[in-house]
Amino acid sequence: MLGLGAERLRADMNRLLALLFHQGVLDEQFLQLQQLQDATSPNFVSEVVNIYFNESEKLLRNLRGLLLDREFSDYKKMGIHLNQFMGSSSSIGAKRVRNVCVAFRAASEQNNRPGCLRGLELLEHEYCYLKNKLHELFHLEQQRLLAAGVRYPMQN
Amino acid sequence: MSALQKLPQSMATASCYGSMLSCKADVFVPDQFPVGLRVLVVDDDITCLRILEKMLRRCMYIVTPCSQAIVALNILRESKGCFDVVLSDVHMPDMDGFKLLERVGLEMDLPVIMMSADGRTSVVMRGIRHGACDYLIKPIREEELKNIWQHVVRKKWNENKEHEHSGSFDENDRCKRGSDDAEYASSVNQGSEGLLKTQKKRRDAKEEDDGDMESDDLSSSKKPRVVWSVELHQQFVSAVNQLGIDKAVPKRILELMNVPGLTRENVASHLQKFRLYLKRLSGVAQQQGGMPNSCCGPMEQNPKLGSLGRFDIQAFAASGQIPPQTLAALHAELLGRPTGNMLPPMDQPALLQASLQGPKFIPVDNGVAYGQPLMKCPSNISKHFTQSIISTEGGHAGFGAWSSNSLGSFGPSHNLGSLGVQNSNVLMGMLQHQRLQEQHQKQKIVAENCRSINVQPSCLVAPSQSSASFQAANSPASINQNGAFNRNSIIDYNVLSAQSNNSSFGVEQMSDRELKTAVVLNGYSVPVPMSPSMSSCSVNTSNASGWQVQNSTPTYITGRQLPDQVPNTNDIEGSYSAKADQGPLRNIRFIGKGTSIPSRFAVDDPESPVTDLNHGKFYGENENKVKQEPNLDFIEDSKVGIPMSQRFPPNDLMSVFSE
Repeated sequence: MLGLGAERLRADMNRLLALLFHQGVLDEQFLQLQQLQDATSPNFVSEVVNIYFNESEKLLRNLRGLLLDREFSDYKKMGIHLNQFMGSSSSIGAKRVRNVCVAFRAASEQNNRPGCLRGLELLEHEYCYLKNKLHELFHLEQQRLLAAGVRYPMQN
Repeated sequence: MSALQKLPQSMATASCYGSMLSCKADVFVPDQFPVGLRVLVVDDDITCLRILEKMLRRCMYIVTPCSQAIVALNILRESKGCFDVVLSDVHMPDMDGFKLLERVGLEMDLPVIMMSADGRTSVVMRGIRHGACDYLIKPIREEELKNIWQHVVRKKWNENKEHEHSGSFDENDRCKRGSDDAEYASSVNQGSEGLLKTQKKRRDAKEEDDGDMESDDLSSSKKPRVVWSVELHQQFVSAVNQLGIDKAVPKRILELMNVPGLTRENVASHLQKFRLYLKRLSGVAQQQGGMPNSCCGPMEQNPKLGSLGRFDIQAFAASGQIPPQTLAALHAELLGRPTGNMLPPMDQPALLQASLQGPKFIPVDNGVAYGQPLMKCPSNISKHFTQSIISTEGGHAGFGAWSSNSLGSFGPSHNLGSLGVQNSNVLMGMLQHQRLQEQHQKQKIVAENCRSINVQPSCLVAPSQSSASFQAANSPASINQNGAFNRNSIIDYNVLSAQSNNSSFGVEQMSDRELKTAVVLNGYSVPVPMSPSMSSCSVNTSNASGWQVQNSTPTYITGRQLPDQVPNTNDIEGSYSAKADQGPLRNIRFIGKGTSIPSRFAVDDPESPVTDLNHGKFYGENENKVKQEPNLDFIEDSKVGIPMSQRFPPNDLMSVFSE
């Protein structure tokens, strides 16, 4: 019974992942990340993704702060933040977030304030969507592990 | 040179790994080679850092993650030899990744792989220019990291070569790395310390050919300073060319140069300056495009180069882009030749401009290049200077302006104060000559003579401090300064010798016609008038670039030396032609082929300046003139000229090149 639950949870996870891939939210880099998860670091994906969330929220705050300073928006600094955002997003396979970062950075390079504001809005939206979906994924994962955890001893 | 050829064959892969690993850690067995590679990862993005760390661990590397560039640098400094490769992000808040890359390249000579989400060509190019051995664009995949050991091996191969050549020496280097690093950091200090050491080094340099001294000396002196003599620099440039500027790494250059007593740090700092120099020029060079070719031509073309050089210098100076060193180098080449022209302009309105403009940029140059020379020039010079000053008149006045500033510091060195300025000019000329002559290794001999004369005085006269002050004030770029210093010191000898040569040249060989023709070729109208003003002859313009300095000399000294020196002219020309050849080579190399053996920094300059030629000519000439005059005086004092002729037999020159 529990084993079946684990299987069902795994199927749910796969379905969710497929959806995210289909939507372009994630790309194969995320699979790379999953492959890095092994016995020596069983929670590697969620660990990294949580770091990513923390860092990204910092970056988003900074970006918003920079843009809301109407007198003087430091576009160069914005570019640096976006570069980092791009780097981390692409590293975990957050494709859509990364793409928005690219557009955002282009706008910041042109000192295009409206473009930046739009970019920020989009970025926050994409980020929130990603975060929700990944949380959902991790939640499923956790449940699956719980289910599986009960099952393994039985196997033995 | 021979070492290079040996490289590929000498090492079987397995043994290669073994040996390389054994250098740093005996633990690893060749079979497992990539396993245990010690990697330092630097990234301010913790997400990436964590992922990279994990990936690298999966590759069985030993990973040290670090989220701050400065911390990383400290780790690297404190634990030298504990890492095989460095992975570094480009954009980091505390320290630019490129800066880290540069420091690591210079101090540790480790392979550095840059990473960034920013894959724009310009950024990647920057990484390459700074010496990155690879540039990974995020997201980084595990497959890419599995392969990074190749960079380590590549580097090790080179090291092994080095070992073959000079095993013990290499060892010394390693031990000293730490202490030497500090020097790089503070250029000002170097300046002051440099003098003393430079002098010592000079003596060492003399013995370089003989061989032994160096290693002993190095080990005994904590911070050995190398005088980048003309020959040394030439060797350096040829090594860089052989490797290709982008792949040139201190270690490999050192191997290629195969100069006993030279340390990796010495090469590294010199390379850094060289790179900066190239960077600055690269923009100009691109614009000029074909120019270099013309420069490449034979002696006759040299004058052009000189003019070009002037242009560049001025333009750069005006924009403030040129580092003092570069300027010095440029001047050295350029000025040396134009000397003949220089004098005449002084009287003319052009002189006024020169004086006006000269002060602005010249001071910088002086600060860098002159610092030492002034010091050295010395007692004898001071006397002459006074004379020269008087005769020079307007031109001198101009100098005086800047001289006063820069000289101020010199003051203590004796009477040089006012003279100092002129000296500096002279020095500039000297520098130019030196570079020209650099190609000729024979100069060493001359240099030695010069050294005996000039160097000692410099020691006495010039306190290291004064030089330091100079540099500090004048030259904005600390890093560059160091290099400049070394060069200067080196240059001094050469310059002196060069000047002496020039003087001799100018007097007899150079006819006014020649000058004129040269002028025409160059397109300098200014130079022609010059000759009349100068009592003696202006030297040949063609040779002139380096040699024209002579004009002034003739008036003063020439009479005596001429006979002896005449032979020199021939030699010099030979060298020139050689240079010309190199010029093109350099161009090629610039493009990226890296075949040829460009001798100096200056070479590139001529090319770059092309665009501004018109402007440059005027200004440059003026400046040159001023500077050159002092040179003449200098020569006279030093009396170097005579020895020069002997020293520069054509054969020797040839041998240098062939080498």
